[in-house]
Amino acid sequence: MWHSGSSTPVAPLALQSLDHSQLYQRRTHQMGDGNDPRTEEIDNLSPSTGDYEDLSEQDWADAENSLSSISISSGQMSYAKPTRPTFLKLSSTNTPALFPTRSVSETSSPLYMHENSSNSRITGNMSLGNMFCSRCNDGFEPHEKIVNSNGELWHTQCFVCAQCFRPFPDGTFYEFEGRKYCEHDFHVLFAPCCGKCGEFVIGRVIKAMNANWHPRCFRCESCSKELADLGFIRNQGRALCHECNAQEKAVGLGKYICHKCHGVIDEKPLRFRGEVYHPYHFNCASCKVELNSDAREVKSRPGFTSNEMNELYCLRCHDKMGIPICGACRRPIEERVVTALGKHWHVEHFVCAKCEKPFLGHRHYEKKGLAYCETHYHQLFGNLCFVCNQVIAGDVFTALNKAWCVHHFACSVCDQKMNQKTKFYECDLKPVCKKCYDKYPAEVRRRLRKTHEATPKKATV
Amino acid sequence: MNQAPVSCIPSPKMSKAKKVLDEARSSGNPELDLMEKGISSFEEMPGLLNMSNITRLTLSHNKIIDIPPGLANLVNLEILTLFNNHIEELPVSLSSMPKLRILNLGMNRLNSLPRGFGAFPVLEVLDLSYNNLNEESFPANFFILDTLRALYLGDNDFEFIPPEIGQLKNLQILVLRDNDLIELPKEIGDLTRLRELHIQGNRLTVLPPEIGQLDLVSNKSVLKMDYNPWVAPIADQLQVGISHVIDYIRSETYRYLFSRHISVRGPPPPKYIDKTNKLSRNRKSN
Repeated sequence: MWHSGSSTPVAPLALQSLDHSQLYQRRTHQMGDGNDPRTEEIDNLSPSTGDYEDLSEQDWADAENSLSSISISSGQMSYAKPTRPTFLKLSSTNTPALFPTRSVSETSSPLYMHENSSNSRITGNMSLGNMFCSRCNDGFEPHEKIVNSNGELWHTQCFVCAQCFRPFPDGTFYEFEGRKYCEHDFHVLFAPCCGKCGEFVIGRVIKAMNANWHPRCFRCESCSKELADLGFIRNQGRALCHECNAQEKAVGLGKYICHKCHGVIDEKPLRFRGEVYHPYHFNCASCKVELNSDAREVKSRPGFTSNEMNELYCLRCHDKMGIPICGACRRPIEERVVTALGKHWHVEHFVCAKCEKPFLGHRHYEKKGLAYCETHYHQLFGNLCFVCNQVIAGDVFTALNKAWCVHHFACSVCDQKMNQKTKFYECDLKPVCKKCYDKYPAEVRRRLRKTHEATPKKATV
Repeated sequence: MNQAPVSCIPSPKMSKAKKVLDEARSSGNPELDLMEKGISSFEEMPGLLNMSNITRLTLSHNKIIDIPPGLANLVNLEILTLFNNHIEELPVSLSSMPKLRILNLGMNRLNSLPRGFGAFPVLEVLDLSYNNLNEESFPANFFILDTLRALYLGDNDFEFIPPEIGQLKNLQILVLRDNDLIELPKEIGDLTRLRELHIQGNRLTVLPPEIGQLDLVSNKSVLKMDYNPWVAPIADQLQVGISHVIDYIRSETYRYLFSRHISVRGPPPPKYIDKTNKLSRNRKSN
């Protein structure tokens, strides 16, 4: 069904909603129903009523025969059977005493032209002689079928599309500037084409960007939102919705768009939960003062998940909250805090003083106010095993300026394990068990005794 | 073959060594203790060179003269102790042992080291004490042993130390006790990690001032320098303590004295120790 769109408030810029119904009329001729009260009424006016309704070819013949004396069998026209246009039938024998007026059946559809039947009904004496076809201006023959539409009369063969000269399919025609067109020709001649899909636009037409559009086809070129009822902004040959346009504008200026009001942020933005805002949309979670860009987002505190605790504080309140400052980078620590050496640290900033790798929770060793990883502490401050050269885990034997793992402390001559109770001698600051020492040549022992006053020593654990 | 009867009729000593090997094979123990077993040849330890799983081999206090090249088959060996044997020569293959970290050849009869002796890939501790080595004994490239952290050369016959010693960047312990050293190379000052220096019992009169660069006075360091014919100022400082010696050789006064001393060097002092009766010289055994 053809639909005439209602005209809606027009968007501010260059958007026109065009109501086609102002331009043309679409009408349908319909055969009057015998039960139609108006038909009834007309019938009453005529002397011979009800002798035919819903005529068929056959009926016409019958009627002709039976109603020869009747001037007019029925003052009716109005037909709608598209393949079968209906006609007025005039009796030729009888002078038309009464010329039937026309009557157009009404339907409830708003799509049809409403006609006031009382206005359109012509009562009075109309003779065949003063009736003329609206198209060819010729008169009508007696018994000729006459098409009556809107008070105008046509020969059957004259009631055709002004373009293709063919009858109207379904009896549906479109009227424009006094001429009637079939649906197809009307569209071809007058209906606008959509700038997007290329189809005819029937109904509401959006005129914008120097083209016509289906309301559904006219969308923001950035976010694809329908623009018909929202209005749009022309931006470098593109139709954009207000939001997208503002965003493009801000990006072009190198500025942010407030996530709340969608306005450009001219000053420093406030970052909150991953978005940017005008700071003045927020107040300090503590003192309620309107915020500026110095405000701090507190992501979490111990015992809260980050989502629960995302809050904004003014700088003053933030500082008063006692959020620890990293001893390395001097920035507040909002996540895990490492406390060591009397300071607080970001986990990743608490590092070995030698290799600068973060401890990440591993054991660290403190020396003279600095922290070291296990490897570098031992490398710098001793306690590598003399035999395996590895950091000594667990108990340590220290003796002779050296250190040993418990299970690596052995005689340097025979490799036999020794413990803290084993007596040993020292030669070149290496431990020698008594058994081996006794095997040394006497002159060596004499020298060793002389130079070192070699007395058995005990290892310390 | 005249050896055949010996190997066919096992001596009590041989069976002892064999017993240890059998035990080690059955238990899978990778550490072999074979000290004081009267072993004079590797042939008395059948199958040993096929036990490639062992990580430590201790053969101290035996009478071994020759080391077979096949010893290098023990590719997992990390510690090899041959202290107090009769070894006169070493196989070239020894230095190819891929995991050997500690090698003790003390108290043997080595007159020289084989060529390529510096090629050990991971050697950390080398003990060559009480042998017959001198500056002529080092093969070329000996000092490319940059994994070495301890070098024991006490009781040998060195009169000089090659300046290439400065290449041993990881050296922490250097023992030159009881040699015939007349002077030390200034390159010892390049051994930045050195924390033990034993130079007692030599013929040293002066120290190169570069030794002052080393950290030899901390509580983790040792400098032993007694029994040398030091020039009077050093001897005086040594009376008071090692730290005074180090302070003194770091001074400008000493630099001047040192430069004058080496320019007007007199004859070297006499040898300090009579070594003619050293066990390492003694060839009468076998």
